[in-house]
Amino acid sequence: MELVVALAMNGLVWGLIIALIALGLSIIFGLLDIINLAHGDFFMVGTVLTWFVLEATGNYWLAFLIVPLLGFLLGALVERSVIQPIRGMAALSIVATFGLSIIIQEVVRAGYGAAPKRILPPIEGTIPLFGIEYDYYRLFAAAVSVVAIFVFFAFLHRTKLGTWMRAVRFDRDTALAMGVPARTIYMVTFALGFSMAALGGAVAAPITTVDFQTGVDVLPFCFMAVIIGGLGNLPGTVAAAVLLAVTEGVVTSFTDPTVARIVSLCLMSAVLIARPHGLFTGATR
Amino acid sequence: MTAPMLEIDDLTKRFGGLVALDRVTLDFEPDVLHAIIGPNGAGKTTLFNTITGMLKSDSGTVKFRGTDISGMAPHRISRLGMSRSLQIKSVFDSMTVAENLWIAAQASQGVMHPFANRSRFGRTAERVDRILELTELERLRDTPAGTLSYGDVALLEIGIALATQPSLLLLDEPICGMGPAETAATVEKIRHLAESVDIIIIEHDMPVVFDLADRITVMAQGGVLARGAPEEIANNAAVREAYLGEEEEDDEPDA
Amino acid sequence: MKARIDRTVLLAVLALLIVAPWLLQSMELEFWLDILAEVLIWSLFAASVNILFGYAGLLSFGQALFFGMGMFGVAIGIAKLGLGFWPALGLGMAVAVGTAAVAGALAVRLTWHYFAIITVVFSLIFYFIALSAKPLTGGDDGTSFSMPAMLEVGDFELSLTDQTVQYFFILSVVGAAYFLKFLIVKSPYGMALMAVRENDTRASLIGLNVYFLRWTAFVIAGGFAGLAGCLFALFGRYASATYMFYHVSGEGVVWTIIGGAGTLFGPVVGTALLIVVREELSNMWEHYPILVGLVVILTVIFAPKGLMGFWNALLDRLTQPPADRAAGGEPHEPREEAAAVQVRGKDRP
Repeated sequence: MELVVALAMNGLVWGLIIALIALGLSIIFGLLDIINLAHGDFFMVGTVLTWFVLEATGNYWLAFLIVPLLGFLLGALVERSVIQPIRGMAALSIVATFGLSIIIQEVVRAGYGAAPKRILPPIEGTIPLFGIEYDYYRLFAAAVSVVAIFVFFAFLHRTKLGTWMRAVRFDRDTALAMGVPARTIYMVTFALGFSMAALGGAVAAPITTVDFQTGVDVLPFCFMAVIIGGLGNLPGTVAAAVLLAVTEGVVTSFTDPTVARIVSLCLMSAVLIARPHGLFTGATR
Repeated sequence: MTAPMLEIDDLTKRFGGLVALDRVTLDFEPDVLHAIIGPNGAGKTTLFNTITGMLKSDSGTVKFRGTDISGMAPHRISRLGMSRSLQIKSVFDSMTVAENLWIAAQASQGVMHPFANRSRFGRTAERVDRILELTELERLRDTPAGTLSYGDVALLEIGIALATQPSLLLLDEPICGMGPAETAATVEKIRHLAESVDIIIIEHDMPVVFDLADRITVMAQGGVLARGAPEEIANNAAVREAYLGEEEEDDEPDA
Repeated sequence: MKARIDRTVLLAVLALLIVAPWLLQSMELEFWLDILAEVLIWSLFAASVNILFGYAGLLSFGQALFFGMGMFGVAIGIAKLGLGFWPALGLGMAVAVGTAAVAGALAVRLTWHYFAIITVVFSLIFYFIALSAKPLTGGDDGTSFSMPAMLEVGDFELSLTDQTVQYFFILSVVGAAYFLKFLIVKSPYGMALMAVRENDTRASLIGLNVYFLRWTAFVIAGGFAGLAGCLFALFGRYASATYMFYHVSGEGVVWTIIGGAGTLFGPVVGTALLIVVREELSNMWEHYPILVGLVVILTVIFAPKGLMGFWNALLDRLTQPPADRAAGGEPHEPREEAAAVQVRGKDRP
């Protein structure tokens, strides 16, 4: 029983972090019409940058500030150099992001090394919770993710830029006709997506390994959350990420993780085929 | 009176709360050039989409030359001899004009041999030549369809529809976007075609409709407002009120 | 004129491929014969991506699934079931095509982004199954086997253990597959696929069964990928789940795009280029994948029709007088220039 609770809690924490990353994937898809195969690597870059910040300053908290900022800048750079020139050629964009994924992984392998490393959590200790001793840091990580998700939604709904982004997603042509600066919106969207994945990396770094290949594991999970939640349905994405991670956590407690992963992949195929617009939309059209 | 070629009975199509077709019942007799007119949103294109299987109706039946085609897939309806052009012109962009016609001609024969070379299908090639001649697209036979002028694309649309050897041709605003000279030429072609194929045409250009059609159906708000010969329609008070009066403002395509 | 140049180049390459074993031996570069064999196998895999993307307009990131099925069919057939050479090959093909028939029936209900995603998902499912079904597949370590003879008549034995025999076996299988692809592309069926790629609504209105055409293309492509997997298993004498991962599918897509999607030989050109670059560069610079990624992105941006598109444009320029060019040029065979890469997203939510 204790194992189930612990794994379910881990699933919840991990689900919230995935939700943060998947939101980035979802807005990039919704606004730019791009399937970003490099998104997992954006997360990985976040974990690696965190490691570097810790190396350079010894201060973990600084990473929460610097890493998303660097992610934003890198995202803007990538959008301008790679994504912008192929706007409107959606099939090719998948291929371009695959190339991007190769480059990012190899650059990290060159600059950071191929050996996985571990970061110690900045807060040690455990707290009794539902009959188990649970890590402080994991709770903290969950809290940071929740706050970040709330800030993101507030940004979308309360700021001019966010309103523009929603307008472009809702009806691109009308929004552009009404004078929304498209190029800026695309760049900000992509940069924000990168930034959120990188923040996810900073949060997750102590509870996973820091390795140039972690993005490859995270990417399918993010896609599952986005698809099951419904493409473009942001609250749905969050719900799906948490639901999936908790389910996988619980399933893992009585079988091995691979089987749990197969189960959620099958669930995702079923959703894709039966309800391509997601589990939480009213009608399938 | 001859048996109708197309019988539409109690056809209803809803989009959410919007009723696009409201229990439409219509018969179209053969050997007569039919036109359907009506203000935007009257349900004209929805009617075509439902007849050709692109949309599934919510209730009602469509019979084509005695065969019930309600709910049938578009490709099966097409093979029964019903062909249509689309309001928003769409052809096979990266294929040449001749290839566009070739695949349409071949598709109607149902033979999609996976290994035989295309040059072995002489009958199809002949048919392509005939249609190139008919549509006067001979000079553009090897031009990629994506680079054609708007008027030529509209002609190619009609050509593709003809290549499937239809017995009924549904034309959705075939002259939309054409200049006066092209319009006149196309109208003549349609008139000529009507001698060998049954035609139903949706058109917004009133002079063209009244010039071409033998029989006009007026639709409004998803239903049939009036039917009759052009003179009758021109003198119908209800039609004048509902439609002809506001003709000037509406040249946007209906949804 | 253009067709003649193309034919001459093709015959020259074919002649070189046939004399390659002796040529390389005389230059003491025998190990390049194995690389050549590998290029041939992977170009068959890329052809599978090309049939779907280049001709049918469906971008699959899951062809590695069928490659892996072919591999495991052969390896398990030989190592676990004790099958001979040909029955094992048959088993590999049957498993790959069977999987493609089932997966395709579901996958081609979707198009576009959704299709790309579901192909990844399907290949991931089988990847994880292969990983966890250790007793059957060997999991991470894979299954290896020793090569059975291809032909035994009395004392005479023909087997792939001979490097030259192996090379010619692979060359003839891949050559036959490409000839089949040529026939398909030039056939009414191939034209119907292109029509579906260009405009599926219009295709259905002229009487083409879009779903059925897409499904058959999916099964044929699965067969090509499966055959490549069978060959690769025989070539390496083993099968491993790592070859089912979607990154392998992605490589196939990359080779196809760089070579030129929607062209007959684009996949060969792309595969050959990138594998040769890998062989040459990996010794000199450990981080050569950076360069591969850059080439991918630059190709997508500056030459979206790939190297074959570039070659075709070059030949057009050289063989046609300028006036002719403007008017559309000489009557040419059905266009193969990678029009597929401009397929529009038609079913956004």
